[in-house]
Amino acid sequence: MVSTAFALTGATQQSHDVPLVSLGVTLLFLALLIAMVLCLAFEEKLHAKKSVIVGLFAVGTLFLGAAFDLLPFGSVSVGGHEIDLPVYVPAIDWNVIAIILGSSLFVDVTSRSGLFTWIAIKLTRTSGGDPLKLLVYYGVMTVVFSAVLNNVTAMIIVGSLTGVSLNRLARNNLLLGFLIIEGLLTNVGGLLTLISSVPNIIVGTTAGISFIRFFLVTGPFVLVATFVTLWLGTRIFNVRRLATSDEREQAARLVAGFDEHDGIESRAFFWFGAVMLITFIAVIATTSVLPLIQNLGMGYVALTFGLIMLLRFKAVADKFYQAIDWDLLGFFAALFVVINVMEHALVLELIGNGLAHVIGLGDTLGTGLIVVLGATASSVTDNIPLAAMLAKILTANPVIGSDPDSPFWWAVIFGANLGGNLTPIGSASTLVAVTIIHKYELKLSFAGFVKRAFPFAAVQILLAVAYIVFFV
Amino acid sequence: MGLVSLMTQVDQFESAFRAADKPIFEFLQPVVERALVVTDLRGADATTFRDQVCDFLGVLGNGVQWDLDDGDAFESIEALLERVNVCNPDLICTYRNLHSEAWRWPYSLGEYLDVLTQIVDCPVLVFPHPQADSTNARMLQGTDIVMAITTHLAGDNSLVNNAAGFTNDGGTLWLAHVEDEKSFARFIDTISKIDAIDTDTSRERILTQMLKEPSDYIRSCKEKLVTHRPSVRIEKIVTVGSQLEEFRRLIDKYTIDLLVMHTKDADQSAMHGLAYPLAIELREIPLLLL
Repeated sequence: MVSTAFALTGATQQSHDVPLVSLGVTLLFLALLIAMVLCLAFEEKLHAKKSVIVGLFAVGTLFLGAAFDLLPFGSVSVGGHEIDLPVYVPAIDWNVIAIILGSSLFVDVTSRSGLFTWIAIKLTRTSGGDPLKLLVYYGVMTVVFSAVLNNVTAMIIVGSLTGVSLNRLARNNLLLGFLIIEGLLTNVGGLLTLISSVPNIIVGTTAGISFIRFFLVTGPFVLVATFVTLWLGTRIFNVRRLATSDEREQAARLVAGFDEHDGIESRAFFWFGAVMLITFIAVIATTSVLPLIQNLGMGYVALTFGLIMLLRFKAVADKFYQAIDWDLLGFFAALFVVINVMEHALVLELIGNGLAHVIGLGDTLGTGLIVVLGATASSVTDNIPLAAMLAKILTANPVIGSDPDSPFWWAVIFGANLGGNLTPIGSASTLVAVTIIHKYELKLSFAGFVKRAFPFAAVQILLAVAYIVFFV
Repeated sequence: MGLVSLMTQVDQFESAFRAADKPIFEFLQPVVERALVVTDLRGADATTFRDQVCDFLGVLGNGVQWDLDDGDAFESIEALLERVNVCNPDLICTYRNLHSEAWRWPYSLGEYLDVLTQIVDCPVLVFPHPQADSTNARMLQGTDIVMAITTHLAGDNSLVNNAAGFTNDGGTLWLAHVEDEKSFARFIDTISKIDAIDTDTSRERILTQMLKEPSDYIRSCKEKLVTHRPSVRIEKIVTVGSQLEEFRRLIDKYTIDLLVMHTKDADQSAMHGLAYPLAIELREIPLLLL
């Protein structure tokens, strides 16, 4: 499925005489793009929200785009009707915005049912307090929560439970290892479905990859990567099973006090939340084949489920609106505008020409190099602009753009997701892991994280390259 | 995501998980094989007192060895402690103001009991003074209605086990937890002066959580005791109030036969805060001091 917004933009372009763009103008816009990426990399230092940073670049590039006569002003065609819209409105991929908005609402309301904390505590009790079992259960839970919720929420839930349960078991010496492994697994779990992470949504919808196809491709990799990460984690952080029956009895007694029903205020809502979650995943997975729904898209499905869940809290729905991450949504909207302007300024074409050399290396070397380059770039800056930009560039490629099965799409997806594991600022979820680590006053510097995470990230990236080259 | 917002979310989930981590009651039958009855009475009076104690504690069964230290056995605290050391009892039964006339006035436990309750490891059962007017009739009734009182019930297995162990089959065990309303009001007053914390929400949420913890623990006690002491009925009292007044009110309301409470505190050598005034003022019923 090609993004509606891009199709609209295409329609606009067709009716607009695009002037020749000088190399100087293209380089000016390229410099602005690099400046924006750098500002995002130093977001914390600038004490500015992403939406403000990218929003400023959006209004700035729009102004310059108008000044250099790059933008396709005029009406756009929607279903055969000419509609006057500001140039920056059709530039935004509203399907992506709708998916994120609807999913956030749905997850936020569903989490009030106590479903996710129930699962988390149930697994803790089931582990009997054995560190190795706990690591495996928490690891798998991190992957599943990252896939179903989002990476940050998954890390917050599993990370905070890890702190509480290891403290209860007097195993604080394992906390650092647990949190690092969980942080790394969020980005593995973020690969599982089309809606598990924003790069997946952007690249997947741009490439026209269906939910099922996405899951079938990434599922086996996620399984293997999770197993390898956990196995490596037990070795590096020395996580062992409890040796004696006394130790096992004592640990079991300590975790027996966790009551999984504590956070459930209404059993009816708990079950409703569970049923709706399963239904949501099923409908999202089959959106592309469901009559009527397939035309409305995944954004519609996400918004619908979000609104159905809100019925439970209809009188206080405004509280949930306040909890929506408007910074993230503003960031996406502004980012789409910036990338659209960059497209008109031929910046994407310029980068695409450079990338063409890499693509020209072939499906094996070229794909592998894109995974590694994508991962490297994602490790130091936000993977969302990278994914959005590369998706746009690949769309423009006549061979790749028309082939949703091209390995280059997967190279971008795997690189953008796994690159977040190389540094603590590589992804929001690893940053959450580090924040929890520091909350417990455990010492871990930037270099310390890189040193500990590198073996995991390197193995995951190498696995990804091999997987895409040989199996996709 | 800003750091403050992130920390808030982490804290929210940590709070949810900590709230879900509840102390679970573990049953352990208190063992009393040897009991020491300490009295300042002599001769037949002393023996009568010992027999009354034995009757009252019928719940302990016939396997208890009852030792008697009467008024001739000790004349000083040191001598009494030496006797306790030699006898090494699982339970000491006595009354306030030994070798003293001060029992007539509700102002002290007497020097013997003051020291005894804090030094010995075993529980001390303090009976009403044998010469008090309202004593004997009540003492002979046995331990059909027992109340364990505390300001911090959740996780106090020792208190519940002892209270359950001293409750007659077919009897009722009241587990009473009273939060001090004055302390609570003081904290809420402080919170009301901090603009970053919503006072009404804090009052409601803190109170709910404070009362939920002992309630959850009592539920856990019931679940275990129904197996080990099936004939004992467990009742719950979890409330907020002026602790001393509230405990007195509850004791009067439910005609308690035996009151069980902790008196030792790891942080202080004297009997801890609430236990002392209760032990002094509640002179009409037997008190099991742990």
